[in-house]
Amino acid sequence: MNLLPSAATLAALVKIGLLVGGLMTAAAYLVLLERWIAAWVQDRRGPNRVGIPLTKVKLFGLGQPLADGLKIILKEDFTPSGVDRVLYNAAPLVILAASLAIFAAIPFGSVLPPLGIPGIPDPVPFLVAPGLDVGVLWVFALSSIAVYGVLLGGWASNNKYGFLGGLRSSAQLVAYEIPLGLGLLGVVLAAGSLRLDTIMNAQAETGVWYAFAQPLGFIVFMVASFAEAARLPFDLPEAEQELVGGYHTEYSGIKLLLFLVAEFLHMITAAFLIVILFLGGWHLWGVTGSSQEIGWIQALLRFGILSGKILGVIVFFMLVRWSWPRFRFDQLMNLAWKVMLPLGLVNLVTVAAVEEFRPQLVAALGPGFAGAVAIALPWIACLVGWLVAGVFTPSGTDNTPILTHDPLDIEREMAEHERLERAPHDVSPTLAGSR
Amino acid sequence: MDPVSTATASPSGLLLAGSVAAIAASLWLLLPKASDTVASRRLGFLLGAVALVGFAATGRSLGSVGEDAVFLTVAGIAVISGLATIVTRSPVYSAIWFAMTLAGVSGVLLVLGAQFLGVATIVVYAGAILVMFLFVLMLAQPSGMAPYDRVSNEPMLAAAAGAVLLGLLTLSIGRLSAAEPPSCCRMPSRAQAVAAAAPADGAAAKADESTTLIAPAMAGGDTGDANEVAHLGAELFGRHLFAVEVAGVLLLVALVGAIAVVSRGEATETDHRREGR
Repeated sequence: MNLLPSAATLAALVKIGLLVGGLMTAAAYLVLLERWIAAWVQDRRGPNRVGIPLTKVKLFGLGQPLADGLKIILKEDFTPSGVDRVLYNAAPLVILAASLAIFAAIPFGSVLPPLGIPGIPDPVPFLVAPGLDVGVLWVFALSSIAVYGVLLGGWASNNKYGFLGGLRSSAQLVAYEIPLGLGLLGVVLAAGSLRLDTIMNAQAETGVWYAFAQPLGFIVFMVASFAEAARLPFDLPEAEQELVGGYHTEYSGIKLLLFLVAEFLHMITAAFLIVILFLGGWHLWGVTGSSQEIGWIQALLRFGILSGKILGVIVFFMLVRWSWPRFRFDQLMNLAWKVMLPLGLVNLVTVAAVEEFRPQLVAALGPGFAGAVAIALPWIACLVGWLVAGVFTPSGTDNTPILTHDPLDIEREMAEHERLERAPHDVSPTLAGSR
Repeated sequence: MDPVSTATASPSGLLLAGSVAAIAASLWLLLPKASDTVASRRLGFLLGAVALVGFAATGRSLGSVGEDAVFLTVAGIAVISGLATIVTRSPVYSAIWFAMTLAGVSGVLLVLGAQFLGVATIVVYAGAILVMFLFVLMLAQPSGMAPYDRVSNEPMLAAAAGAVLLGLLTLSIGRLSAAEPPSCCRMPSRAQAVAAAAPADGAAAKADESTTLIAPAMAGGDTGDANEVAHLGAELFGRHLFAVEVAGVLLLVALVGAIAVVSRGEATETDHRREGR
């Protein structure tokens, strides 16, 4: 009976420590980045004063996250009366725990060169749970657990803004999970695996990122992951101008901090997924090969490329925030059910057809030309789908009420009209009686 | 030979019978009734804890202390939250306890190496269905419920039937698994899983996957192997294709029916509004 943790367990703990520490630091500094970008877009200076504590060194404001964190932790943790205490306290923990646990299945690099430590199989992957065969589903499962935090937080606060935010959020997240899944299924189908590291390796092997092979899937997934992360233009669950703060209106102090960190983690998760599934992960043409036997320089280079791409996607998220106004709720639902869902299906069918007939294509046309056709077909599907969606979906951008010409409705109108026509003859029996 | 009589004669059989009786009494005491007192609920909790320890003691070790501890934790979460689901009076808390049950069940499946089932349980039940439940429960404020909606209708019958079912299932499953070696459904260690998964990485493995994966899928339903999902898919869309398609059509019919019902409801609502005007 061995009660000591094995080397593999220790390695997993080290990875967890590095990942959680890195993510928390990243979240803190991404807040600073977000404020800088907001300031740049709005032609302000942004936070640039706080530097090294107790000195006068400003360092472009790089000390700001520390000051922000200290401030919000030391603030009064106020619990309003009338809240459901158990759920009110549990909600921030649920959402943060789920958001962090997602990263157990997300690779944050390629592999390390052989270390030769007994008990740890070489090469060591940059992944906390390398034995998990269903990584993509794990991410899905835990992001759907995170919905509970939002829903319960909104309900337990006993506040109408919080409650509306929670309801909006759950409706939005459930609706956009479907296009998200459809966008992702195309990639799973092409790579033939639910493991995120295998999906990255498949892109590195062929050199064709799935964003190029499945443009429609990329668009659908990108839009859906914006909605899942509840970032503008999909931030209806918090919508400061309408709902004060949405589901975390009543929260303060460290509980609010947990909610905000979880939100940033959602955005980081979305960026990770976009990069890993569609933008080639650690692969870059001419810089990284596809081999699994690499040296230290290559390992660090791959880690750097993956991080750089993720940072790029996050900056894109932040620029979008200041570029588009928020959707109205009916527009949000129309986009999910009437545009993104059909487009996702079109993408899935195209990818399935291409993957099914790829051997025949290669046999008939030769590998080079077959590859070109396999890329061209999804692009044609993308263009056609986009045009059809653009022409035929109801435009939800004007605010005039949509007049429906339902035949049943017209009959009812006519019946009502007739009743009014008859009305003068049998008006008010009281009047008739008095006459 | 009568299996029940031989089982009750042995000490483990007596333990099982005692646990069943304890869980029946505990359920009866805990189910929401008009005549509940603090003392009866406390006694119910105590009996329930005794019964759970009894049930745990009838089980067998999985191999190592660590595995047993993990299994007992997740299984305990599942069972205790399941009890709490039917015992609590607030519908919202019931739904949340049920979510905890699902998390526990998913944990049990993960421990036993059925990764896909474990994660799919969370995605389908906890992630989609239960969120809808919560949504509806929160919209329909539970404070407006009548007292008779808050109590159990037949607590004694329900407790007795549940306990008898539990006892029979424990007995029969215990008998079934006694015939097999206990290591049949253990998850391979992480090192083994990595070693098994390593050659499957990359596109080279993907190319001949269609030929290699189907053969072992037919050979046997192993859990915890590296290509579990592929095996499951091959089974579902190979041998059970018809059932899958029928289920899909059934769901589609239900969906169309739901939309038809909803749109008719909207029309009558308009009617009411017009009549009211």
